[in-house]
Amino acid sequence: MIRFLQNNREASVAIIIVMLLAILAISDPSYLKVETLLSIYSNSLTLFVLAIGATMVMATRGLDVSVGSIMGLAAAIAGVCMNDGLGIVPAIGIALFVGLLCGLFNGFMVAILRVPAIVATLGTLGFFRGCVHLTTGGSWIEGLPEAFKGLSHAWFLGLSPFAWLVLFLLAAAHIFLRYTAFGHAIFAVGDNREGARLLGIRVNTVQLTAYAINGILSALAGIIFAAQIGFIPNTAGNGMEMRAIASGVLGGVSLLGGTGTVIGAALGAFFMTAIDSVLVMLRFDAYWNDMIAGAILLIVLIGDGRIREAMAQSLRYQKYRKFLEPDEASINASAAHATKDAPVSGARVTGTDETAVAAHSKESRA
Amino acid sequence: MKSLGLFKRWEAVLALILVVEILFFGAINPAFLNVSTLLYSTSDFIHVGIVALALTLVIITGGIDLSIGAVMGLSAITLGLLWVAGVNIWVACFCALGAGAITGIINSVAIQVAQVNPLVITLGSSFLYSGASLVLSGLGGASGYEGISGFDDSFVELANLEVMGMPFPLVIFLIATVVFMVLLHRTRFGRYIYLIGQNPRATRYAGIPQFRTLTIAYALTGIMAALSGLVLASYFGSARSDFGSDALMPAITAVVLGGTSIYGGSGTILGTALAVLVVGYFQTGLQIIGVSSHIASALSGALLVVVVAMRSLSEIGRAYFQLWRVLNSTGKQKA
Repeated sequence: MIRFLQNNREASVAIIIVMLLAILAISDPSYLKVETLLSIYSNSLTLFVLAIGATMVMATRGLDVSVGSIMGLAAAIAGVCMNDGLGIVPAIGIALFVGLLCGLFNGFMVAILRVPAIVATLGTLGFFRGCVHLTTGGSWIEGLPEAFKGLSHAWFLGLSPFAWLVLFLLAAAHIFLRYTAFGHAIFAVGDNREGARLLGIRVNTVQLTAYAINGILSALAGIIFAAQIGFIPNTAGNGMEMRAIASGVLGGVSLLGGTGTVIGAALGAFFMTAIDSVLVMLRFDAYWNDMIAGAILLIVLIGDGRIREAMAQSLRYQKYRKFLEPDEASINASAAHATKDAPVSGARVTGTDETAVAAHSKESRA
Repeated sequence: MKSLGLFKRWEAVLALILVVEILFFGAINPAFLNVSTLLYSTSDFIHVGIVALALTLVIITGGIDLSIGAVMGLSAITLGLLWVAGVNIWVACFCALGAGAITGIINSVAIQVAQVNPLVITLGSSFLYSGASLVLSGLGGASGYEGISGFDDSFVELANLEVMGMPFPLVIFLIATVVFMVLLHRTRFGRYIYLIGQNPRATRYAGIPQFRTLTIAYALTGIMAALSGLVLASYFGSARSDFGSDALMPAITAVVLGGTSIYGGSGTILGTALAVLVVGYFQTGLQIIGVSSHIASALSGALLVVVVAMRSLSEIGRAYFQLWRVLNSTGKQKA
């Protein structure tokens, strides 16, 4: 059971989400319907998009704390363009392009100039936020075109066009990371930069691309945010970077790179929003939200850390068992070899599955 | 050459930047060079410095504490609630500092029990603490982001008190700088901090009390964050739960700009202290010459980016220079 949770980090978040919704349904059965799920989903769209981007960046062992500012900047630029009479599509295009440039700038700092990711993006966090104020002149942007706001209204099967787009992106990102060479390269760079370089992966290009995609996705999150609330405050996106990172971590994306799935991060994002919505539906006072979310986040993280530690210890035991029990050395030789090159940090996308299976088979034999 | 050697010390570069910056803004607006302007404008940013000093310790150990902003708000609210409940203001201050210490200890224990990246744990605990301060202010009757005010006059005047010609918050900052310099550079505890940052495994094998050292470091950060929350409460004359939300990023910026490696193992208190002044005066200076505060903060971000990129470039350049020198000398030997 524990091993299953460890190898499928998404499962643990999914269980928690189900538990959360179960509590909601028990306390008030009138919420037991699809609309509840849909409304939570549409509340979490921006966080979903950011979480996809955060997964890619964190998979390269990076971190982007500037996404909130990029979000605000893209929203502001889209808003200004639309109110200047530009069509919706060109305005969105320009905003996405600006997001791309922001992401490329981050990537340039991290990949080429070798600035630590958190430092580089911390700087651009302030810089892009200042650009927001430059763009808007310090005032809110109101009076967005109705057609633009309509993009966030229910359209097909109760979901808005943006909601469908996000679902599509989720699937695309999952396929991209799981089944393409480039996706694997992203994880390889995060797991072992030097090793990836020796394998012939263009490490700098991969890192740049990850940050660039993250930039575009942040811009998209900004656009969705603007369409959802119908105006653009200067503080749009403030603090979203932390929520995005938290969603990723909750969903099993490691900050040390090389592991994690988009689905996990998306579930994490769903959970972060669900907790807010559920507490509102249970008629808690709004000020409990952050505290309960924080407490659950901490408990999950500590629990996960303990499980991982136990896993690492059992792996270490397997590795050295041939020295402790010499007669079993021959049986374990091959398994120990497999264990040796797997880092001790738990579930990896590649490699650990075999390791875990090997460890498991040894255990059953013993 | 010897004078050039001085500039290998990052603190010297920072001091130079600070002087150039003050002279530059002074040249545009001579009012900036007024000593009392220089001293009293520190009150706007010195709370960042107070917490940045302790954060330096944590970052040198290879950790980070993202919860400082939340702790600042929590300590201010604790103070406010106890004051409303009729507790003596100085006892309340003491309790607020205690709350800060507890948050730090919780952080440290959670990090070491879970063996998870400190960034993640303190991210989670920052939600917890900021949530806790919202709950406390909600329970205390000050709904949402409304503040608790009406403190004792002696407490409110503290921030505007003049000690030896300097505002009291600046004095706190200077005293804290000296204390932390002694603590980090002149005690065994300080050496442990560096060693943990350099190589945690070696620290463990050397029998150094890692758990205790880290817990003290995080607890100190919690206490200093609480102290800086109190300074803010005194400066504004009210306590709000979102006090520290703007202080987190500037504090990390100051530590990083001060030359502390974000990966741990190196850094100095003096560097952090100077960087606080550089960033703070950069902001105030821009505002004095008439740049709006939002653009000033954007330019501070740009300053961080430029300085760090230049340091990184110079390090890459040095590595290439070393390589070139080695290759060059081997070539000569062959000939």
